[in-house]
Parts: sequence; structure tokens; C-alpha cells
Amino acid sequence: MYLYLPVALTSINILIPVGLGLAVGLLSGLFGVGGGFLLTPLLIMFGIPSTVAAATDSNQIVAASTSGTYAHWKVGNVDFKMGLYLLVGGFVGGILGVQLIKLLHAMGNADFVIKITYILMLGIVGVYMFIESLQSMRKKKNNVEEAKEEKESAVGRFLKSLPLQTHFEKSGITHSVFVPIVLGAFVGILAAIMGVGGGFLMVPIMVYMLRMPMHVVVGTSLFQILFTCIEVTFLQAYTNHSVDFILAVLLLLGSTVGAQIGASFGKKLKAEQLKILLATIVLAVTVKIVFEITLTPSLLLSQVGGH
Amino acid sequence: MNIKFNIQNSIFKIAIFLIFEFLILNFEFAAPAAAMLTAKANHDHITIDFFYHGSTVSVRGISDPGTDLVIKITSPEGHQLLKKKGKVGGMLWMNVGQLKFENTPNFYEIFSTKKIEDILSTEEMDKNVIGFPALAKHVEITPVANEEEKAKWFDEFVKFKEDSKVYTSSSGNITFSKNAEGKQEYYILTEWPYQAQPGDYLVTVYAVKDHKVVEQATSNVNVAQIGMVKSLAGMAKDTPAVYGFLSIGVALSAGFGVSMVFRKGGGSH
Repeated sequence: MYLYLPVALTSINILIPVGLGLAVGLLSGLFGVGGGFLLTPLLIMFGIPSTVAAATDSNQIVAASTSGTYAHWKVGNVDFKMGLYLLVGGFVGGILGVQLIKLLHAMGNADFVIKITYILMLGIVGVYMFIESLQSMRKKKNNVEEAKEEKESAVGRFLKSLPLQTHFEKSGITHSVFVPIVLGAFVGILAAIMGVGGGFLMVPIMVYMLRMPMHVVVGTSLFQILFTCIEVTFLQAYTNHSVDFILAVLLLLGSTVGAQIGASFGKKLKAEQLKILLATIVLAVTVKIVFEITLTPSLLLSQVGGH
Repeated sequence: MNIKFNIQNSIFKIAIFLIFEFLILNFEFAAPAAAMLTAKANHDHITIDFFYHGSTVSVRGISDPGTDLVIKITSPEGHQLLKKKGKVGGMLWMNVGQLKFENTPNFYEIFSTKKIEDILSTEEMDKNVIGFPALAKHVEITPVANEEEKAKWFDEFVKFKEDSKVYTSSSGNITFSKNAEGKQEYYILTEWPYQAQPGDYLVTVYAVKDHKVVEQATSNVNVAQIGMVKSLAGMAKDTPAVYGFLSIGVALSAGFGVSMVFRKGGGSH
């Protein structure tokens, strides 16, 4: 059955957005990512204009992350305090990132910077997570735990020397308030440049730099993504008129259910298994983008807007 | 004197009559197709509702048996801004700027009885903007360095539009029959793509003889959104703040709603 999308000005088989929503919602509930880096290119592939795809994706992430946050909150896996500090940082970073992208557009090499940032960030994050998860899986097998403490002490000493130290009960860690704010800003800048929510960057930062437990990371990341996407959806609807309400409803029909299933399934997986799965997906997307920019495209023209 | 005048007067009248008769007969024989060609798009008002997935449009009319036909369906001309891809550093495909295509319709379809190059001269095709080569000359593309580059990007433009199903050119798909009055009737049924945006479209039928357009007739097709589709599209443009809040509100409610369903079902525990 086909439905006409009033803003995208195209018709789509309803099974496509519902199915895509379900798959991306599953990843969202499982790993704490919004899934924009996967869903937006898929929607474009199915004929949705790029501006509408990106904006509507933010809209559906609001639903998926509400569903996912709620599911994780019910089992006590959301660190609201940490989430709020990251949000403050992300908000400031977003403003800086938007100014930076304006500057890059004016210089005429925005697309090059965006693509290279994408590949580098996804590649580094994917490879690091993959290797680290493999190592920790092996170490657990051998019951060797001392390496983790050694790593922590190197970065930890610097972090502990920073002012305004505060304890995050839910995560069981102590940091200066500046740490999540600065890291949130860093992700905010990159997210604005890359035009994504930044969940796949935020998750590794929370795991490796803030040293939060993986299951709390997923819930907290979703909480932070929820607010970021509310802001992005409103701005896209208000300034670009590019949110397609009907497409968003079709996507969220799948993604809200997917997020619940993902959150439920995630509890059955170990932290290392979750990390290695996310790392694999991130690396697969990196390879896809590398192919995309090295193989000759079938069309050399595209609509203005989006990537 | 009086008789001479009358004779002269009669000769004058006969001469005038003969001249008029010659002109009328000459006009009738010289342009037999004139006022013969008609065009009517049967499905001239296409409505877009939630279940719209394209439509069909048929064009029919009377034509002279001695002529070929070209049917052109276009949207009004305007300018289109598109991103162009190019190689950066000799190996990476990136968006390297934008191109402005002026004097271009968003929608351009050509149907003909035979290949248009075989039935029309280049001058006639250019004059009536019939076919992609003629459209290429009509379009202005900026910025391009030279004609070669313009031709390359026009080809890419047609490929892009064909991919979106809004540009097409084909021949041999117009059928003919005799109507009750013994006149030749032409007919074509075309798929109307759902990608064609709401708006007014012009159907022009050209009668072609001796590589020239000898007559043309026009009809219109209007595509319009109706009901909820129209309301939502209008709301997104006219009251974007309300539309934004509505989109967020529905997403939040759906997220909570599904959570409640799963909670009751025990899915999250």
C-alpha cells in the first residue's frame, strides 16, 4: 500500500518506512544511537529528497529515543545528571558547529571537510571500539583486570585535577562538571558539521573517556539524543519547512517498537558484545562511505540540501 | 456610354468575385489541416490525496491523416539549482559546487508518431523547443566554462530528470482510428508519475508535415493536492511553528504510548 507524503512530494510503499524504522529503532534501543547516519541515506535511496530525509529523521528519532529512554529509565539505566551536562555542552557545540559550517560553505570546501570528518570519525571510533572490545573479551576470559586500572590512572590524574568535581551516582563515577560539558561541546561541533545527531560519537566518549558503564551509557545517550532531536526537528520545521509529518509517523510506527525490542534485547547482551556489534555497524557505514566517494556515481547532479 | 459603363461595372464585379473565389479556394486547398487539429487531455484535473501513487493521462483529438504528430507535455519554465559532483584530488567524488539551470521546465515529456529527428527540421525543433537537443539550446546553465561543458552538464541534467521520471522522450506510441464522422482520431495514454509536482501543465499537440509544424492545438492538465495532504503541506509552509510543535508532540506521544503498551505487556522487564 502506498501513501503520498505531502512535504516530500512523493509516494512511498508504507512497508519501507515502517520496516526501516523498526530496524533503526532496534539499533537505537540496543546501542543508544539515533541511527541518523544509517536512516537518512536509506531514505534518500528510496526517493525522499535529502533535506526532507534528514529533517524527518530527527522527528522520528524524538519518538524512538522517547521510547528507548523510557525503557532504559524503567530499569534504572539513565544518568539524568550526566545527560544534562552533556546537553549543555552539546547545545554550545551545536551553535559553534553551525557557525563553522557556514564558514566552510563560504570557503567552498564544506563537502570535502564533511566527508573526510565523517570517514575519520567513524573509522577511528569503529576501529578503536572493535579492538578494545575484542581485547576486553579476551582479558575477561583470562581473568586479567589490571590493564583497565593502568589506563584510567593516566587520563584520570588529569581529570581529577580539574575544579568543580561532582559525583554521578547512577554511573558511579566522579568528574569535574567541565569534562561532560567540553566533551558534549566536542560532539555538538562534529554533529553540526556532519549533520547527524552524534549518538555514535557520544556513546564511545561516554564509555572510554567518561568511563561510564555500557548499559547506563545507552540510556543516557538516548536521553541526550531526545532533546537534541526535539531542537533539530523544530528548527528544521520552522526554518526549512522540511519535516514530513506523514513520513515521520510511518517511521516512528516501526522505530518506537524497535527501540523497545532493542532495549529489552540489549539487557541480554554483555557490554563487550554490545560494543563490538556497534563497532561493526560503524565500520560497515565507514566502508560504505569510502566506496561512495571513490566509485563513479551514476548521477552527477543532486538536489540542493543534505549531503 | 451608359451601356459601356454597365458592361464595365459587370466585368469589375465578376473580377472581384473571381479574385475572392480564388483566394478562398486557394486557402482551403493550400492548408487543408488548418482548424482540423484538436487536443483534449481527458484526465485534466489530477487530485493528490493520501493514496495517490501517480495517475494516467490520455490525450486525444482529430488530426489530418497527412500529418505526423508530436505531443509535448510541460510544466512552466523556471530555474533549478542543483549540486554537482566532481573529482577532488583526482580520486574522491565530492559535491564541488552548484549549477543553475535557467529556462527549464520541471516536467518535460515528448511523444511522437515517428522519431522527431526524422519528421522535423532542426530549425522547427529549436523554434518550438521540441526534443532534448532543442531544449539544450534553450536552457542556460551557469557557471560553465564553454559549450562542451554546457553539453556535458545538460546531459547529466536530463539523466537526473529521467531518473526522477519527470523527463521522457519516446516515439511510436500514438494510435489512430476513424471516428463516427469518418475523421482521423489520434489517442495516447501516458503514465503520469507521482513525482510530478502539483501545478499546471500544458499539453501541446503539433501537426507536422514536410519537416515543419503546420498546426498546433493545446490542452491543460492541473495537478492539485486535496484534503489532509493539502492541509498538512499548507500548514508546513504557512504555520511552521505550529507544524513543528505538532510533529514533536506526536513523536513524544507515540514514544510514550508504545512504552506504555510494552510496559503493560511486560516487554521492558
